[in-house]
Amino acid sequence: MQIQVLYSSLLKHMGVQSDAASFAREFALRSMSVEALEDLKEKFAGMILGEVKEIKEHPNANKLKIALTDIGGQIVEIVCGGANLAVGQLVAVAVPGARVRWHGEGDLITLGEAEIRGVKSFGMICAPSEIGFPNLPCGSHDIWVLNDITSSAPGTPLATALELEDTMLDIEITSNRPDCMGIIGLAREGAASLQADFKDLSVKVIAPGIAELGAKIEAPKKCFRYSAVKLEGVKNGPSPWWLQKALLIAGERPINAIVDITNYVRLELAQPMHAFDAAKVAGDIVVREAAKGEQLKALDGKTYELKKGHLVIADANGALAIAGIMGGEESSVQLASTSVIFEAATFEPVNIRRSARDLNCYSASQLLYEKGLSAEAVPLALARAVELAAEICGARVSSVVADVYPKPEVSETYPVEYRRIRSRIGVEIADVEIDAMLTRLGFALAKVGNKTKATVPYWRAYDIENEIDLTEEVARLYGYHLMPRTLPSGALPDYDDDAEVTVERAVKRFFAAEGYTEFFGLAFVDGRDLARYDLSADAALKIHNPLSEDLGYLRPSLMPGLLRDVARNETTTAGARVFELGRVYLPQAGELPLEDLSLVVAEYGKGDAGLMFRRLKGTLERFARAHGLGLRLAPLTGDVHWHPGRSASINLLTKDGTELTAGVLGAVAHEYREAFKVDSELFVLSLDLAALVPHLKRAQVYVPVPELPSVSRDVAYLAPETATYEDLSAAALAATPLVRSVDLVEIYRGVSIPAGKKGVTLTFTLQALDKTLTAEEISAALELVGAVLAPLDVQTR
Amino acid sequence: MHSAFQTLQTDAEAAILGALTEPALEAVRVEFLGRKGRLADLMSKLGSLSPEERREAGQAANVAKSAIEGFFAAAQSRVTAAARTERLKSEALDITEPGLPATAGHLHLASQAMEEIADIFKGLGFVRAHHPEVDWDYYAFESLNMPKDHPARDEWETFFVDQVGSIMTGAKGKVVLTPHTSNGQVREMERQRLPIRMISLGRCYRRQSTARHIPMFHQFEGLMIDEAVKITDLQGVCDYFVQRFFGAGRVTRLRPYHFRFTEPSFEIDISCGACEGSGFKEGAKCKLCKGGWLELGGAGMVHPNVLKAGGLDPKKYQGFAFGWGIERTLAMRSGLKIDDIRILYRNDLRFLSQF
Repeated sequence: MQIQVLYSSLLKHMGVQSDAASFAREFALRSMSVEALEDLKEKFAGMILGEVKEIKEHPNANKLKIALTDIGGQIVEIVCGGANLAVGQLVAVAVPGARVRWHGEGDLITLGEAEIRGVKSFGMICAPSEIGFPNLPCGSHDIWVLNDITSSAPGTPLATALELEDTMLDIEITSNRPDCMGIIGLAREGAASLQADFKDLSVKVIAPGIAELGAKIEAPKKCFRYSAVKLEGVKNGPSPWWLQKALLIAGERPINAIVDITNYVRLELAQPMHAFDAAKVAGDIVVREAAKGEQLKALDGKTYELKKGHLVIADANGALAIAGIMGGEESSVQLASTSVIFEAATFEPVNIRRSARDLNCYSASQLLYEKGLSAEAVPLALARAVELAAEICGARVSSVVADVYPKPEVSETYPVEYRRIRSRIGVEIADVEIDAMLTRLGFALAKVGNKTKATVPYWRAYDIENEIDLTEEVARLYGYHLMPRTLPSGALPDYDDDAEVTVERAVKRFFAAEGYTEFFGLAFVDGRDLARYDLSADAALKIHNPLSEDLGYLRPSLMPGLLRDVARNETTTAGARVFELGRVYLPQAGELPLEDLSLVVAEYGKGDAGLMFRRLKGTLERFARAHGLGLRLAPLTGDVHWHPGRSASINLLTKDGTELTAGVLGAVAHEYREAFKVDSELFVLSLDLAALVPHLKRAQVYVPVPELPSVSRDVAYLAPETATYEDLSAAALAATPLVRSVDLVEIYRGVSIPAGKKGVTLTFTLQALDKTLTAEEISAALELVGAVLAPLDVQTR
Repeated sequence: MHSAFQTLQTDAEAAILGALTEPALEAVRVEFLGRKGRLADLMSKLGSLSPEERREAGQAANVAKSAIEGFFAAAQSRVTAAARTERLKSEALDITEPGLPATAGHLHLASQAMEEIADIFKGLGFVRAHHPEVDWDYYAFESLNMPKDHPARDEWETFFVDQVGSIMTGAKGKVVLTPHTSNGQVREMERQRLPIRMISLGRCYRRQSTARHIPMFHQFEGLMIDEAVKITDLQGVCDYFVQRFFGAGRVTRLRPYHFRFTEPSFEIDISCGACEGSGFKEGAKCKLCKGGWLELGGAGMVHPNVLKAGGLDPKKYQGFAFGWGIERTLAMRSGLKIDDIRILYRNDLRFLSQF
């Protein structure tokens, strides 16, 4: 919640000597955040009171006039379009240099001397909205006439004429402190924060009349207190300027004196009020639940259809107001009203909140009520309204004060645990200091033996609900900024980081180091993208209240997002290596979803498909080696998502000898590339990381370094296309133990190679463990290799 | 003979000086000092001399030989230096040709920030935890001292999980996408591992999408619970973090605030780096901060009701918690000047490859 108040209105109730800026600084450190501080003298700089002396026609525009205006010691010509412009008016003149908002719209602009349709204008005569009072009632083409507001002489600075040589504070009030939404509560808080005196508002007790005023509460669980009083002889009209000003500063709209009084009392005491035109109220007032289908046209001009559970204030004829939320139009107080009923009440906050949301009907009163207000605040507010109505409208109380209060509130009491307060804060604050702080805030302290009890002031009834809350009061009034800073002592946890988090971090680093760029998308997925990838929406977590259709689900797979991202990127980045490591969300009946770590690594581009595949496979192999994983690839042909000739399933060899499917390495099937409009070749390594986590090791196994030299020999073969690389390499390795490893140099298909064949150049590493090989032994070993390859129709080239 | 050796020495000196390359020098060496060279030739003639003459000529021969060897040594280093100069000249590269880096991978900015943040807290013994993103509203709200229908719940625009058209409910209430990482607080306490020094970096979700707010974002949640954790400890931990993440000169301040799940509750501000906490820069109000301070986020001492919900005795244990936005914290430091935070998660390689 926000409140805008004049600093002077707070100063009336607190003995603070500081200027507004220092007050704001201290207050923010001990109480609530001061969001803005506005020096009104500065805001109204360049604005002065003028008197219209003579009006001339504008030679070139029939809707404009030239006002000869006395601005103190000189008469200037101002072009003015105000429909109500008249001689003798006191007006707000903005002279060149002032900052105004044209027609109350757009940004503030600095006024210059202008020529309007060929006539020079010395500044402008302003409407209220043009100088910061958009809520002041004023005809849409009218200027602001100040004769009723001020009797200052022309030339007086406007801030002086309007009694606004002041500073406006904009304070954020936390939701637990509705009491500070009133000037009095805020001043009490300010005084406590600056260790100053607080001067409470003194209000005359109502001298009741004799007329009957019946009221009853039929829903005592939803209305805790209902108070009303009737006044006669009301001379309603516009409010005096001081009252209008208070409303305008708070961002509210003056309406008429009686209505303004109810709003002002709320701004002063943070207790909502309402006024009915007594002539429109028939019989007793009843606080009851709405009948099904009951309708009410409210003050905002809208008709609300009420439901059982919504609370209304009603008379014999039906609903007069939606309780705590908004009054009805029919029974509202008009300028012509001569008798009124003031109401102050307390409602159950949750019901107010629910009803406002149900009806989509919000108001300043409802905002306060739903935070929780004390029933003890009611009499003061009612008395204050009566006092002001007498003063401003000459109204006199004609009825008894109806006060239905079935279950009077009992103030809670909490022990003041001095030692615990100090231990939680970590600062030695003396008992007497603590007592003084609590007393300033309105707590009543009672000492019994060496124990102290604090009774919660009624305006904090909903806020203070635990002994620990007293610690906060003491800590903040002491001032966090004055406390020393310490580092925690005590034992350190004896457990390690979360295993998945550790893996996540290591795996991300691995792929970034391998030259892949991390994708990091929203976890949402578009239902249409799920369909494009033929994933069932039932297998995805659906958002009940999505922000938009494209954010309708949580992703069950990283693949749709990857395809969408590749399609988006390929127009601007022709090829790239990317990866995404994130959670996927798999619904479970009656349970929270699984949130599994998943990984996709991809390369897209227009390059050689075979090389793209091999690069990704090489990355996978290095990943497996670095993490101690035994992996086996098997051709994957039966999965629609993957190209049957270019894909492999990845099987994890577990310790107990079984194999576990852990993912896929392959090319995305053409259908899905087309569905997502991916033009590039796209190879993907997709891993179910969650399944791999228990098998990951920090693989640091020592393999002895051979002491004897090894020999490498390249041999070029001609092999049939049907012989796989693995057929060749496995055969060669099996041929003789002297072949320690086989590596591929190149596979060649070209002019010199017959159809159906491929040229394969292998490099063999030969080594014996116990001696250096002779040339003859090397030749013999290669002949053995040749002999096992021959049956595969593989010949040297 | 004596003069023959002197002539040899003079000739050798001239020849050596004339040799500018390694091969030329080698040819001269062979000519004078080789097995069949001029020195050897003269020496072979010594046998025919008288002992007196031979002794004299021998001395002359020794003088000449060591002089010639001296010339060669000097010439050798001269020729080697010349050769190196020549080689260096031929090996020269054009250092203005464009660089040719190896293909670089890039960790996402959020990942980088998370690693860095976790590392800082590791220094204070905080252990990384992970808690669900999709959770019961019991953990997201109720156990955090926010009963059903509490207005405080409105501060989070919460996403709910759907089950055939209505909000999915189960063992512990409605299923929500957690709007803050604080859902991990009671979950961590339920693990019964004390003392707790937890840092949990996770995803959160709120129904918001503007240039400054995204529906999915990240927070880092700190939770410390032990028998004597104090407000001043929280302030110390904040300073420790801020000075490492933002720089040595930065300080924090706590301002009172209100959260249901902490008591007392605070907002943490960091002194502004742009105006060094003064609130003014170049004679005008600093555009980056408010009066010299930037808001980092909320924190507080864990509310006794939350401790109770986590199965801990609030008379024995106390602690602090904080939960701050990672994107926000990152943006505050780096001066990235990202106008629209949504670009972070749009996966545009032209953006991602900048970091």
